[in-house]
Amino acid sequence: MAETKGSGLDKNNKYDRQLRLWGDHGQSALEAARVCLINATATGTEILKNVILPGIGSFTIVDGHKVRGEDVGNNFFLLADSIGKSRAQVATELLGELNDDVTGNFVEESVETLLESNPDYFSTFSVVVAINLHEKALLQLGGVLWEKNIPLLVCRCYGFIGYLRLAVREHTIVESHPDSALEDLRLDRPFPGLQTFCDSLNMETMTKKEHGHTPWLVLLYKYVQEWKKTHDGQIPKNYKEKNMLKEMIRKGIRQNEEGVPELEENFDEAVTHVNSALVTTRIPSEVQALFDDPCCTNINSESKTFWILCRALHDFVHNEGNGDLPLRGTIPDMTSDSERYIQLQNVYREQAATDMTAIRNRVHALLQSLGRDEPVFVDPKVSHSSPCGAVSDNEIKTFCRNAAFLRLVRCRSLAEEYGTNTVNKDELNMHLESEEGDDLLFYILLRGVDRFYDEYNRYPGRDNSDVEPDIPKLKTCLTKLLHDWGLSGTVKEDYIHEMCRYGASEVHSIASYMGGVVAQEVIKILTTQFVPINNTYVYNGFLQTSTTVQL
Amino acid sequence: MAATLKGVLQGSLADNVKNSKILVVGAGGIGCEVLKDLVLTGFKTIEVIDLDTIDVSNLNRQFLFRKEHVKKSKSQVARESVLKFNPDVDIKAYHDSVMSPDYDVNFFKQFTLVLNALDNRAARNHVNRMCLAADIPLVESGTAGYLGQVTVIKKGLTECYECQPKPPQKTFPGCTIRNTPSEPIHCVVWAKHLFNQLFGEDDPDQDVSPDTEDPELTAEAGQSALQSEAKTDEIGGIERKSTRVWAMNTGYDPEKLFNKLFRDDIKYLLSMETLWKKRRPPQPLNMTQLPSDTDGNSSAIRDQRQWSVKECANVFSDCLGQLKKELATQGDGGMLVWDKDDETALDFVASVANIRAHIFGIAMKTRFDIKSMAGNIIPAIATTNAIIAGLIIMEAIKILSGKIKSCKTVYLNRVPNDRNRLLVPCTLDPPNPKCYVCAPKPEVTVVVNCTRFKVGALQDKVLKSYLGMVAPDVEIDDGKGTIIISSEEGETEENNDKFLSDFGIRNGTRLKCDDFLQVYSLVVTIAHVEKLEEEKEFEVVGDLSELQPQEEQQQAANGSKPHNGGDKADEKEEEDDLMLIEEEEFEEEQQRMEEETRTTRKRKASSETEPTTKRSKTAEAQAAAGDNDVIEIS
Repeated sequence: MAETKGSGLDKNNKYDRQLRLWGDHGQSALEAARVCLINATATGTEILKNVILPGIGSFTIVDGHKVRGEDVGNNFFLLADSIGKSRAQVATELLGELNDDVTGNFVEESVETLLESNPDYFSTFSVVVAINLHEKALLQLGGVLWEKNIPLLVCRCYGFIGYLRLAVREHTIVESHPDSALEDLRLDRPFPGLQTFCDSLNMETMTKKEHGHTPWLVLLYKYVQEWKKTHDGQIPKNYKEKNMLKEMIRKGIRQNEEGVPELEENFDEAVTHVNSALVTTRIPSEVQALFDDPCCTNINSESKTFWILCRALHDFVHNEGNGDLPLRGTIPDMTSDSERYIQLQNVYREQAATDMTAIRNRVHALLQSLGRDEPVFVDPKVSHSSPCGAVSDNEIKTFCRNAAFLRLVRCRSLAEEYGTNTVNKDELNMHLESEEGDDLLFYILLRGVDRFYDEYNRYPGRDNSDVEPDIPKLKTCLTKLLHDWGLSGTVKEDYIHEMCRYGASEVHSIASYMGGVVAQEVIKILTTQFVPINNTYVYNGFLQTSTTVQL
Repeated sequence: MAATLKGVLQGSLADNVKNSKILVVGAGGIGCEVLKDLVLTGFKTIEVIDLDTIDVSNLNRQFLFRKEHVKKSKSQVARESVLKFNPDVDIKAYHDSVMSPDYDVNFFKQFTLVLNALDNRAARNHVNRMCLAADIPLVESGTAGYLGQVTVIKKGLTECYECQPKPPQKTFPGCTIRNTPSEPIHCVVWAKHLFNQLFGEDDPDQDVSPDTEDPELTAEAGQSALQSEAKTDEIGGIERKSTRVWAMNTGYDPEKLFNKLFRDDIKYLLSMETLWKKRRPPQPLNMTQLPSDTDGNSSAIRDQRQWSVKECANVFSDCLGQLKKELATQGDGGMLVWDKDDETALDFVASVANIRAHIFGIAMKTRFDIKSMAGNIIPAIATTNAIIAGLIIMEAIKILSGKIKSCKTVYLNRVPNDRNRLLVPCTLDPPNPKCYVCAPKPEVTVVVNCTRFKVGALQDKVLKSYLGMVAPDVEIDDGKGTIIISSEEGETEENNDKFLSDFGIRNGTRLKCDDFLQVYSLVVTIAHVEKLEEEKEFEVVGDLSELQPQEEQQQAANGSKPHNGGDKADEKEEEDDLMLIEEEEFEEEQQRMEEETRTTRKRKASSETEPTTKRSKTAEAQAAAGDNDVIEIS
């Protein structure tokens, strides 16, 4: 029924357009989330705006800065009369107006101070977004969050360049929403229910109407059985064999008294679906990798629910499943009388339910063996990252239905990215040497301007008069940086010039763009739906190009 | 303000930005973001136009609006909200349709740039033409769920919005809706038609009663149906009266309506026996004898739970009562407009569609799903709009720096593609010389049966709806200058019911069509045929050669391309699934978009960026279209 909260608005109405993307459970996950933003710059407030509107639970802004004139110029959520006030406070108030169902908090302290005084402060958040942090604070924060497995998104807008880095030790996704997934029909390895149902239908004795309304799935099953008889029990494998099967199916179309084939749409459909429906049922490599993961092979009382489910899935595959994942249990629309369509649908549904029950029993047995079967109260606010006791049937059902699409993201840590010995040299070198302009050069340049900052305590080209003199200085910083990485290449002069020209300014249209991109990643992480970017994203606003890369 | 931009916006650009005058068309999801971005990029003079008022379902992304603004003008509230944060900009708001004659070519000429943030094709077509006529650059955009697109249109330099033909609106044959529904959407369409028949605007194309002119009915079967008509007349005495009048006479009595629609009309359909030789016949329902309620999962929320037939009948009853009251408040001759966000109107359609689906043995749907189908809802979120708005401003900045040639069409993917790209920028294509809008002398061929096609249909269905004219004038190019359609009210109304042949229009006749507002002239050549396929009333083709597509393909295969014959890049062009993306919910426009997601068109890859990339259709559009084709991403 209609649910209302702070705003007094029906949430089903208010959030209608997004519920169609991530569903009620995705929305519940959002509403339970606590998001932390470090530094309420234009980019920072844009990101928050885009997660407050769809209704996260709460947000907290950590920012020790006072509002300056230039902040007001590019940040929608700061006003001219807020100059001199706490940026955290003003932004919290104005962002809070966007959605009455979201709670806003702020801490008027720099992240450096907070990390010093209370390093555990950040451990209560579902996700932390950090804007424009200097290297030392960034690595310190990254270390704290990595330890707790709290996702950290690092973001920066610099001139026409946008940068995003996701650092999360482990992020598991049940609903990855693949773009195009084949149906799970098992025509190559029919399960007993499907066999019984299809075998009970006799095409020879059917009336004309029944013949033309037998679902194509049944037709395909029958012709594959026939094929197997003469092919050592194998299904048609290649293009040629599939064409032969198609020919067989076409010959099955009934003819009228004059010997002219009847119009039987179901046969046409069977022919069209030979290629897409007749596939080998197998465990996808991503899922196999999960099975082989130590987290799956060595589950313990601290294991995340996801891994316990994975283990149960693995055990199912090797026992009841006879080598297969649980059946998804859905069939596509097809020409059929509704009676037989519903029967066929039920055949798939029942098998899926049987598989689901088997997995549920395994999950409960596993939980019991780990001493966790007692329903434990789980704070929904932290549930997605902490081990939990009870696992609901709905959760198991969703897991089974998505068994073929399970995904795991493990990012490299910031410490690895920044470590002289662990830097992803090969990747950087490849981009450094690429002939055409490359978005990743701007990553190197961003690291370069940070070097510059460390040395001169300001960014290059802050004043227009600095641009020219800063070019050689930045060049020297870059040379040192590349040398530290053990790379011999150089960055072209015009890129360096471009970077100096930017003068560390934050252009609003870039902030708007990145605000959308980063918020989208935050939503993916909070809903644990869709696969987030792993791990670095660079946007070049002038060329309208972007790249993702693992650093 | 925007002081930090000095270095980034080089030279005169900062001044160009400050001194430019921008028109933003639409103050919805993209519009709100664009207005904010413009102001914070240093733009000072902005005008915004939007016809819409604010709805609760806008609040999850249209951040300039709050709940207290619901039902107020989008453009005006957007203006006030932006000014509250940035008082020193000049924003003018129009709560009006951009297609109104008040916004003529001189209106458009006052702007440096026009930024579209629209949600329907009719308005996009119109603004496209106005910008071509005024020779003002246009940035066009759209989003759907996670997907988005931005492009730049400039007269003579790039393709215009209408250079590539867009498929016509997806419609269902009347007899499928009225006699032989086979998919849930057919029942939803029928339910919406019923709403309009009972409470809304009368449209003869939306008849809900059995169709005795179904081409499937042989002469014989038609006879038997006609005979049984007498019987039905006896039962209800209703067949010859309009549904509306009859319903009003019964006082919208739920049982009488139910039994007519779901029992008697169905029985009548059953009498058309030919229809059911190869189909499952429908099963009439009696309101007092509905299948018993065995629903077990009543714990699920109402929106996402499948209602039983009995529940549907109860909802149907309740809705009739409420809608009857609502209609009464409109006074004599009043009517209701179906709106997906109106609870009762949606309940009505959900219950009716499900009852009908049950009768025809079609899968029933939840209210949540029916809302999608009936309201043509495209999912919409803040993030995508923010991204697209950022891209729009970047293109606008390029135009203002005199670099329009380096502008791009940019597509936003849902996830990075195989080349790790979230964005796919493509160079702009040159104008299509055969475009029926931006070519120097636009021409088009309309295929009709001149003896059965009326002038009124030529005006409404062809010139206005299909060809996007607002107020056409049509003159026969017969040397006498016979005017058959005039944009002046009352001048040619009497022609509307006459057939084209009544004016001597026949195969080969040329019609000079003008739209004064759009400064647009089009020559329409009539091609007469006896019968069009799939019961179409008319067909529009670029020129007659398109009627023989095979020939044309052969020509292309023979390598008769005049200029680019040896151009490798050109040969490598791939068929590409273009998605036209519209913003947000599009009312009736969305079905067209679904079609468009399926159309293919060629897109040239930008040399310094990407090879042509196949886009996958939106999952949403796929689901809505019930299309199972797997599109591979190259």
